[in-house]
Amino acid sequence: MYIYLPIAEQPIHSLAILGVGTFLGLIMGLVGVGGGFLLTPIMMFLGIPPPVAVASVANQLVAPSVSGVLSHWKRGNVDFKMGTVLLLGGVIGSSIGVVIFNFLGKIGQLDLVIKSSYVVFLTLIGSLMLSESLNLILRKRKGKVSRGKLHQHNWLHGLPFKTRFRKSKLYISVLLPIFIGIIVGILAALMGIGGGFIIVPAMIYLLGMPTSLVVGTSLFQIIFVAANTTILQASQNQTVDIVLASILLLGSVVGVQVGSRFTNILKGEYLRLILSTLIILVSLKLLTDLITIPSDIFSVIISR
Amino acid sequence: MKFLTSLHILVLAFIISYDVKAKNQIVADLSQENVKITTDFLGAKILLFGAYDGQKGDDIIVVVTGPKGLVTVQKKEKVFGIWVNTKSVNYINTPKYLNISSNRDINKILNQKTQKISEIGLNNLKIRLQPGKKVQKEKEWREALTRNMLKSKLWSLNENSVSLNKNALFRSYLNLPSNVITGQFEVKILHYRNSKLISKELSTINVSKSGVSAEIYNIAQNYSTLYGIFAVILAVLVGWGANLIFRKV
Repeated sequence: MYIYLPIAEQPIHSLAILGVGTFLGLIMGLVGVGGGFLLTPIMMFLGIPPPVAVASVANQLVAPSVSGVLSHWKRGNVDFKMGTVLLLGGVIGSSIGVVIFNFLGKIGQLDLVIKSSYVVFLTLIGSLMLSESLNLILRKRKGKVSRGKLHQHNWLHGLPFKTRFRKSKLYISVLLPIFIGIIVGILAALMGIGGGFIIVPAMIYLLGMPTSLVVGTSLFQIIFVAANTTILQASQNQTVDIVLASILLLGSVVGVQVGSRFTNILKGEYLRLILSTLIILVSLKLLTDLITIPSDIFSVIISR
Repeated sequence: MKFLTSLHILVLAFIISYDVKAKNQIVADLSQENVKITTDFLGAKILLFGAYDGQKGDDIIVVVTGPKGLVTVQKKEKVFGIWVNTKSVNYINTPKYLNISSNRDINKILNQKTQKISEIGLNNLKIRLQPGKKVQKEKEWREALTRNMLKSKLWSLNENSVSLNKNALFRSYLNLPSNVITGQFEVKILHYRNSKLISKELSTINVSKSGVSAEIYNIAQNYSTLYGIFAVILAVLVGWGANLIFRKV
């Protein structure tokens, strides 16, 4: 069943979109990350203009994040204080991101920047995940699972405005989470992602937060970053397609719920192995699009 | 149903044709004058039909022109291994939809000069470069414009697609692709005898967004912040609702 998207101004098969939404919700529920950064490239492959894909995916991300936070909250896995500090940075960052987005659109390089940032980040994250999951699988085969150092001291702990985060059992400078928030916010606005795949490792490795709190807290801040991005994209660039976002989010909320039920059954490292392979494939596809000779080096833009 | 409508149209056209014979003119009608882009829009196929006072060897050319405006042609070049849009040229007064149909090859109907004067043919359009900008190898850009517009199906040239019947009736189909631009479309039906225009008929097609799709588009344009807030609230509610439903399952 085809449906005409009012903002993207083209028809698309609604079941295909629903399927993609469900599939990515499933991944999100299973792994905790992976909604936006796979969804936006897939939307672009399906022919949705990149600016509309980015803005609409930001919109849809709000839904699975809300439902995710609610279930994590119930289990006490959200550090609201840390989340609030992160989201302050995130809101600032995403506002900057939308301004950059608008500027790039005006000079006609938006598609290029979106696509190339995806290539860089997907390759980076994909290969990191791949090597980590392979390492873990190999180590488990050998039968020794060693734990890394829990807490390390470095120059980051010398920054001013130190605050106690009771829930995370941390005493660190607020500047660090705010800075992480800003970076993730900019990327979120530019790439149509929640930024989970950047903020989760940052929380573990840079902030040293307990792993149990990481997913819930990152989802909490993603809600606000995605909401801020959606409102700004809508008001600045008019690129939020609510019909596209609605179909996607219906699929993804169901997917997330189903996925989170299976987290204990499926082995995390194998899951991550599959996901990282998928990420690398998407990144390769985007890269080939950028480096192969286009069928026509000329293209037209019809102003509406 | 479709068959009945065509039959109905044919009968009607026959009746009209008697009148046409007397006045040496052409009359035409469209199966659809208002095209509404609704949520199930996949493009439209419009039947164009009518009667003319013809003789053997007469020709019909139909030119449908959509709204005109700015179309930018971009050129990609390889920069550090990546294909990047580096140059662009703006064309003003460019039809964002164009369909030229005829009963046989246009070159057989009209000579090059007449085609140019009457703006018939893809290369005879009065498209201008945006003033104040110098362009090298302009021909290359102009060709790229035509090629890309044809590829997007927004422009089309369909020679031999107008069917003539008994030198009195003509019929042609018009395809509006799903990415069609909204606005007024001008329909010109030209009747030629020995390369001379002997009668013509003008008509218009109105393409507009309609229903929910139009409402959403208008709200997104005119109340953009409110639209954004609404989009967020909707997502929050769905996320919350999903959590409530699945908790009970």
